[in-house]
This record gives sequence, structure tokens and C-alpha cells, in this order.
Amino acid sequence: MHTVQSQTYDFIFVGAGISSPFIAHELCRAGSNCLMIEAGPHYTHHTYPRNELDGTSQMYWSGGLELSTDAKLVFLRPKVVGGGSIVNQALVDRFDDDALDAWRAASGVDFFNVNDMDAWYEKAEDEIAIQEIPADVRNQNARIFQEGFEKLGYHLAPLHRAQKDCRYGDGNCCIECLNGCRIGSKQSTPETVLKKALAHGLQLVPETEAEQISENDGGVQVQCRDRLGRQMTYRGRHLILAGGAIGNSRLLLNSGYNRELPHIGHDFYCHPQYMNFGIYAEPVNAHIGAFQAFKSDDPGFRHEGFKLENVYAGPSAIAMLVSGFGNAHHRFMEKLSHFACIEVCTRDTQPGRIKVNRKGKLIIHKERSQTDMDRFEKGTRVIDEIFRSTGALEIVHGSFGIGLHLMGGCVMGADPVRSVVDPEFRLHGKKNIFIADSSIFPNAPGINPSLTIMALSKMAADRILRNVQS
Amino acid sequence: MKISRYFSRNQLLGLLKTGDVILPGTEQSPSFSQTGCIEHIDRMAAFLSADDLSGLRILFSIFHWSPRWLIRLLMRMCTHNRSYPGFLGAGLRMLEIGLKGATMSLYYANLTGPGYQDKKVFEVIGWNPKIVLRESDLAPGTSPGPALNYDNPAPEDVAAIYKRARQAQPDIESWGVAKRLEFISRLKDIIISRQAYILDRIQQDTGKSRTDALTAEIFGTLDHLDYLEKKARKILADRKVPTPFALMGKKSRIYFEPMGTTLIISPWNYPFYQAIVPITLSFTVGNAVIYKPASATPLKGLVEDLLAEAGFEPDWVQVVYGPGRQVGDRLIEQRPDKIFFIGSQSVGQHIMRRAAEHLIPVELELGGKDPMIVFEDVDLPRAAAGAVWGALTNTGQSCTAVEKLFVHQSIYDRFMDALVRETSRLTLGTDPAGGADIGPMTTPSQVTVIAEQVADAKAKGARFLTGADWDGRSASIPPMVVDQITEGMQLDQEETFGPILPVIPFAEEAEAVAMANAGEFGLSASVWSDDLKRADRVARAIVTGNVSINNVMLTEGNHALPFGGAKKSGIGRYKGEFGFYCFANIKSILIDGNSNKMEANWFPYSPKKFRLFTDLTTQIYSRGVLSTVKAAVSGLKLESYVKKVAKKHARSRES
Repeated sequence: MHTVQSQTYDFIFVGAGISSPFIAHELCRAGSNCLMIEAGPHYTHHTYPRNELDGTSQMYWSGGLELSTDAKLVFLRPKVVGGGSIVNQALVDRFDDDALDAWRAASGVDFFNVNDMDAWYEKAEDEIAIQEIPADVRNQNARIFQEGFEKLGYHLAPLHRAQKDCRYGDGNCCIECLNGCRIGSKQSTPETVLKKALAHGLQLVPETEAEQISENDGGVQVQCRDRLGRQMTYRGRHLILAGGAIGNSRLLLNSGYNRELPHIGHDFYCHPQYMNFGIYAEPVNAHIGAFQAFKSDDPGFRHEGFKLENVYAGPSAIAMLVSGFGNAHHRFMEKLSHFACIEVCTRDTQPGRIKVNRKGKLIIHKERSQTDMDRFEKGTRVIDEIFRSTGALEIVHGSFGIGLHLMGGCVMGADPVRSVVDPEFRLHGKKNIFIADSSIFPNAPGINPSLTIMALSKMAADRILRNVQS
Repeated sequence: MKISRYFSRNQLLGLLKTGDVILPGTEQSPSFSQTGCIEHIDRMAAFLSADDLSGLRILFSIFHWSPRWLIRLLMRMCTHNRSYPGFLGAGLRMLEIGLKGATMSLYYANLTGPGYQDKKVFEVIGWNPKIVLRESDLAPGTSPGPALNYDNPAPEDVAAIYKRARQAQPDIESWGVAKRLEFISRLKDIIISRQAYILDRIQQDTGKSRTDALTAEIFGTLDHLDYLEKKARKILADRKVPTPFALMGKKSRIYFEPMGTTLIISPWNYPFYQAIVPITLSFTVGNAVIYKPASATPLKGLVEDLLAEAGFEPDWVQVVYGPGRQVGDRLIEQRPDKIFFIGSQSVGQHIMRRAAEHLIPVELELGGKDPMIVFEDVDLPRAAAGAVWGALTNTGQSCTAVEKLFVHQSIYDRFMDALVRETSRLTLGTDPAGGADIGPMTTPSQVTVIAEQVADAKAKGARFLTGADWDGRSASIPPMVVDQITEGMQLDQEETFGPILPVIPFAEEAEAVAMANAGEFGLSASVWSDDLKRADRVARAIVTGNVSINNVMLTEGNHALPFGGAKKSGIGRYKGEFGFYCFANIKSILIDGNSNKMEANWFPYSPKKFRLFTDLTTQIYSRGVLSTVKAAVSGLKLESYVKKVAKKHARSRES
């Protein structure tokens, strides 16, 4: 069964993560008729999955186990309305000179500088509440992190988190919000701009995957398949791709756009992160309360291309990460409450490549250069130091890396041969196809991308409105 | 072990074995299989991509047949993947992540199977985070699946119920019969293990005696499920049928496909049996089901609970409650692809009328006024006991209850004595140990019907040999043996559906048959005689759907026999092989090869073609070897003529 919708929308959005709700909010407010298609389900804070199994199965592509070709990296690619803003630790940071200068150098795009971006960061920050975790609720995992940093003379800073009211007084634990915040505190797009866009008439179609796009008569068509396998085609005057680095690249490749734009799928980055565990004599209970209050803020680390975070994860994820099986595994997990966790997040320099095979299936090449390996190893050494200086009895390194911030693949640049999107957020040579999400990042910034996606989306909405009106 | 929609039993056993290698358990930690977390596999499988799913299926199938030491060896290689080069290392890492992903996600989600008593995984690893939801967090939101009202639903609810069924049906269809039967087997186990509870619920709603409930409802249902398990695959398999000579070179097939969404409406006399049997039959064929129980005996929630426990998703079978007069029409308005109804003649007629507006196919199992004919050469005590049971089991509230007993006049008096003796021994009540014979009537409206028929019969001179003292109101009706029946009595014409046994003497076989065929019903009958030839003759002469010889109400006891009525007792047959067909779209397929060959019966027509076809038609159906040879010659002639014409045609097209 294949239904072709007779209605023509002003804008069709593919993907409903962070970028498209920010753009749709502006466009709907300006009176446009918008449709948003998302492969994942649409939850409210009443209906988020209640355990790790349901969470990873229902909210990620491939159940949270999407692999690089060498199987050394697992990509956590959200598949849910709200995308990364639902399943993240809500960190929101502006990019610094270091990150933006590197972008400008790679792309030749002038507005990639702190001054020009400031206004857009401000507009993005206006849409969400941002808080720090108060000192009195930091848990033992956070305190170990702080103690280690202070003992060793490294700099650290409190995290900025997109949250409204976590009601720590009730004993709420941050770990519970990794599958969606059930108390409406985390400032995910469904709690913020998406809500407003829907109120302005946005039509959202969840659990429907875009399979192919095409252009005709100055418009665009999006061919989709829903959960039950039914095919539908939607028509629009403009298309905004917001399926992330992998989603956008895959859709464009499967639609044959690489013939005109050979750079699609190139320059893929993902901030490979490696979790490490220190095991202490006394219980740490890293999962209780607010475990992630700090980030490293050390100029040395930034220069070396890594940062440290005291993240934590659910038991299945930890069990997967630590190598081994059988009795040894059980004995290890039986000590789980004595674990502290520090993660090294590397700013990767070696670009990966997203491809599709003849059947349209994804192939993700992402290898690590010597520089990337050095960054990872330096970070790991600092973590070992911190664990040792704070009295850890044993240190365990995770057995594979996690690709969390999926960036690039449709990078922005002035040159149509070495980039995919022009500085007006349009696909090179296409008047009505736009991208503003993390897939346009020219390289890895080494800083959490959420806030910058929001700022760029704000900027893109402004330009799209101006371009469309003129 | 739970049944999975995505994995076969062997694949699940393979996963269980792998799980126990990866997570064997210690003194503190339970093993993978101990927790029963495998019960939850579908929560993960439902969201896997087709490729990931088929990969896991293959792995688990292999591991099912592999010894444990081999799996252990493989896992050890996976753990040391770094020492293997390039693609081998990558393959091992993928395998490790896939296997650990499947087993650890289940195990560390802290989910367990039914009956698991020991420490849960979260207690062992000390995992106890919390999130405190306040009143405002709990306020009902806009959930993705709308909450539907199944109790006397409004028209818009009914529309949503059908939408749900129609969305689920392609899924049900796609698994094939074998997979659907796994759910049926699981349901069977659950009914066996919960029979005491089911009996309580049946007795609560119907008031019937516990033994009646056990034998007719539980035993009968299990017997049916057993039949499905054994026969459904074969009966619903694609069939090859012969292709006649004239269509040489082609192939013919029959496919049995589901009809879509079926509506099943059941009566109050056997509320459990008449629910599970048609529901499972329709589901096994691949339909989604909407089921409406009688409002007098809804067994509220029971069917849903049992099905859910067997792994059915709520969309597959939806139970709708409410008074038939209101809800029934709403359900038909949404145009189910088939209506299956068991109940009274008048409601059946109404349903058929409503269905006719949308041309919905109907299957009707209606009432009866079933005769029992007893000849003089029977074993008298056995026949009398059979008559008493046939008339009074389930308090006479069966569509196939004996409602007219014809006894040969030569044994009439002795037989009546025996009937009265047997009947007076019966005990009334709902004894939970199963001691009572006859329960009270299930519905007050049926008590009124019986009171009317009894008063009418008394007024017109019928003789009540037992039960004459009934007050005409109490639901505990004493069983009544009645004779001196005359043609004008309601008791003679209408379905009684109560504990009354009217007896009529006869002299000749032909007279008995004529009397048995007199009414408008024709559901079932029984014939009793030592002379099996005579019994068979009478069985053929009675216009009815089912006949038991030297037994009563027993055709229903064999699930391989079709069940249904003649005359005004119903339309269609269900149960047995024919039962599957009543829920199936029987599709004919004729397969021809792709070629440039034109068919002889296609255009263009010509006098010559007409002549050749006449020859062929005459010869092909005439007797004798010679005409067969002639037919073959004519066939060849016709074929070469058609070829020639086609060639000419093609040439003229080219020029």
C-alpha cells in the first residue's frame, strides 16, 4: 500500500531531534505549514520507558548497538522525538575560540567565530532553563572526581545543565533521566520548543522513516515507511533535513545526491568516549543522586584534545563495557556499588566516512589516527592518576569506545567539492533543501554539541525565512 | 518458557544456553536462566532491525545445537579479540557485542519470569536509584496509544477498536500458522494450570454446576486447542489441485488466507467455551478478533487475562462488553470482514439483516428443538439415563439439549418410570466440590420464558410427572418430565432452553421421523436402537445438522466433526476442517508460465476456430479411447491454427 498525500506543505522536516524543533518553532510562528517526520516514537514525560532494556530498545537505532566497521566503536544514535535532547546528560556549553577557529579554517565560513555566534547562543539559551548542580547534592562519584582534580592540581568547573527543577530534595537520581526525564525537568525539545511548535500547528508524524527524497517542479517529495511497513509520500515546497550525521548522510546517499555532492558522508566525527571504573573499598553508589556535577576545565587537557567527565550508566551498559564473562564477570558486577566512573572524551582528528551499500544499508568507517590514540591514552593516564590518588583498589578500563556526539557527513563550507551545505544552510546548488543540525559540523569541536545545534538552528531559521520571503 | 513472536522455541533454548555461559550465576547472583528474564525477549526483539534479528536467530539456532564448551571457547576468543587481526578481530567484537547485548540487556534490566523467588539482580549488585513522581507528574498525559473504552463503548470508541485490530492484523498474518500455534499451545498450558480459577469465574457468572462447567467448558476447550495444535498446519497449508487436460501446462493451487478482522458474538450458556473456541480458531487462521460476550455472562477480564498470559498482544483479540442491543449494531456498523454469531434465532435474524446492508458474510449457530428417538430394542436404563442427561445437563441451557423425546409405545411406560426415577435422584445446587447435578438458571429472562411455556402446557392438559411444584419464579427450577404433549403447545413448538423433558410415544419408524422433522429447527438429533441399520436410516432421514447414534449430544465431543444447523438452526459449519474455512478467504490461484503463446479461446474469433473448437469440445468429453486420440489431434490442430493467426497478426503489427 502506497499513499501519496495530496497536500503540499511549506516545509517538511526529516528527523525530530534538536535542530528541527528549533527551526520549526520559528517557521510555524511565522505562519508556515510544517510537517515533521521522525523514525522514532513520540513520548511524553508520562510515557518514557521505565527500564534500561526498554529504553535502549525503543530509543536508539539498532538497540543502541550500532557498530563501526572495525567494531571498536559503538554509536549511540537516538531514535526518538527529541533525539539527543531526551537521552543525554543535558550538558549545554558554548564553543570556544579553539573550536570555532578550527571550523572557520576548515570551512571558510566567516560566521564561525565567537563574536558572531554569541547572539545566536543567547537566543538558544533563552529557550531553555540552565542550572548547575548545587554543591550539597553532589554524590560520592562527583566528590571523588573533585578530590582527584584538586589533589593533582587540575582545573575543573561545574557543569551547565539544561534542567528546570530536578527536585534533588526528593532524592531523585540523575541516572533515571537517561531514558527520558519523567519529572519534566530536563529541557528536551519536546518539553520546550517542540511543544510551542505543535501549538503553532506543526504536524508531527512519529514512527515513520524517510527512505528517499526527490525533487520535482520546484518542490520536494519524501518517501516514507511507517512502523507497519506502509509507504507514504509527502510533498513540500522546502525540505529541512535534521536526521543527524548518519541519518542525513544515509538519506542523501540513498537518494543519489552524492553524484552532485561527492562529499556527502565524508568528515564524520563522534568524540569517542571511553568509560573507566575505579573500585573502592567503601561503597561509592555512583548511581544515587547527582553523579555528574563537574567537567574538566583544564587548559592543558583542552590543548591535548580530551576532556574528562564523571558520567555513569545503567548496569546493562556497564556490564557490556567491562570485558569478560562467566564467574569473573559476576564477581565484578557484584561490586558495582563500589564503582566510581570517569570518562575520557576525545576530540577526534581522523575523519570517518559514512557509506551505504547496494541495498542501502549503512556502513560506518571510523578509525583512530595516532593522534586520536595519543589523546585517548593521555586522558586515560590522568584518570588512572585520579583513581589512584583517591584510593581506588582496582582500575578497570572499558573494552570499547562509544560514539556519542555524531557530527559531520554533510559539512558546511564554501567549496561545493569539499562540503555539502553552503553558508546559507542550503545544500550546494539546491534552493529548497536545508540542513542545520550536527551533520554540518566541519570537524570535532571537543565540546558537547547540543547548545551549538540550537544556536545554528536559530540562525538557520532566520536565514530560511529571509530567503524564502525574498 | 514464554513464546516469542520473533524466535522459535529452539532459538530461545539456544539463547538460554548462551545466557548461562555468559551469566552462569554465583552463590549470590542468579544465573541467566534462573531469573526467567528470557520471558522478556520480545521487548527487545520488537525493535530490532530485520538484519539484526535474523543474525541473532541464526546464532541462537546454531548455539542450540552446539555444546556448551564450544560456546565458552567462542566467548573466550571474543574476550581476547585484540589478539586477532583485522576482520577476524572485528568479527569477534561484533559477536561479543551482539551476544552480550542480547543476554545482559535482559539480565540487567532486573526483569524476571513468573515464579522467580530468589534475590533479584538489582539487590545483588546494589542498584536502587529512585525518581519521585509527584501528583503533577502522574496526571494523565497524551499517551501514544489512546485509552479505549471497552465497556459499552461509544461509536467512536468502536471505530478506534476496529482501527487497532486492522493495524495489528497484518502482523498476525505475517507469522504463519506455526508461529500462531505456539501461542495456542501456551494458552492451553495456562488454561490447564488455572482451571480452578476459571471454574470459579464460570460458576459466578452462570450458576451452573461445577461438573457441567468442567466437562463442557474446560475439557471441551482444551480438546479444541489440542485439535488446533495437531491439525491446523496441515489444513491451512497451500494445496495443489489437479489441472484438467484442456489447461495443460498450467498449475492450480488453493491458498487459505485470513479474512481480516472478525467479529465473534457469543451466548451466555457456555461463556468460556464459546469464547475461546471461535477466538482461537479465527486467530489461528490469521485474523484479528473482536469478541463480544453475552452481557449476562461477561466473565469480565478473564479472556483478556488468559490471552495476555499466553503472550497475546492486546490488539490481537479485543473483548467488548455491553448490552447486545446497543453494542452489537455499533460493532456491525464498522464492517468486520466476517460475523460469527452463536445465539438465538431472533438475534441471528437481526444480525443477518444488519450484515446484509454491508454484505458482510455471516455464520450463524442458532437454537434447536432437538429430537431423541428411542426404539424398542434399546438398553432401557442406559437410554433413559442418556435422555435425562441430554435434556438436563447445563440445566437444559444448551442449543443441542434434548427437547423432544420420542419413545416407542411398546416400552413407553417402563421408560417413563425410569425417567421419573432418574430425575428424582438429581441434586440441585452449585457445590464447589462438584457434587451437585443441576445448577440454577443463568438469566431471569429465561426463567420467564420457561414459566410461560409451563403455564401454557398445564392449561392445555400436559401431564407433569416431576417438578409440578415449581413456583414459576425461582431460578432453581426442578427438572420436569412432561407428557401428553399436544401440537398447539409452546412446549411442542418453541425452543425451551431449560430443564424440561417432553416425552411423546410413537408406533412406527416413519411416524417418529415425521414428528422429528415437523418443526422449523434442525440442529441435532439422536437415534437409539440395537439395529444399527435402522438407526442409520433414521439418521439420514432426519433433516438436521448433527446426529448421534446410541448416544446424545456427542457430535460436539469430536472436534474433527463440523458443527452447525439445518433449516432455521443456522447457516454454515464451524469446528473440524470446515471450521477453519469459516474464518478463511479461500483463494484460487492458477499459474501459467510467461511466454508468447496466445490462448485458443482469446480473440480473434473466426468460423474456422469455431469449427475446431466444436470438434475438440465434442471429442474431449465423449467416451472411448478413439475420441481421446481425436481430441488430442483436434487440440494440436487448434493450437497450430492459433499460432499461425498470432504470427500473421504480429507481422501486420510490424508493418
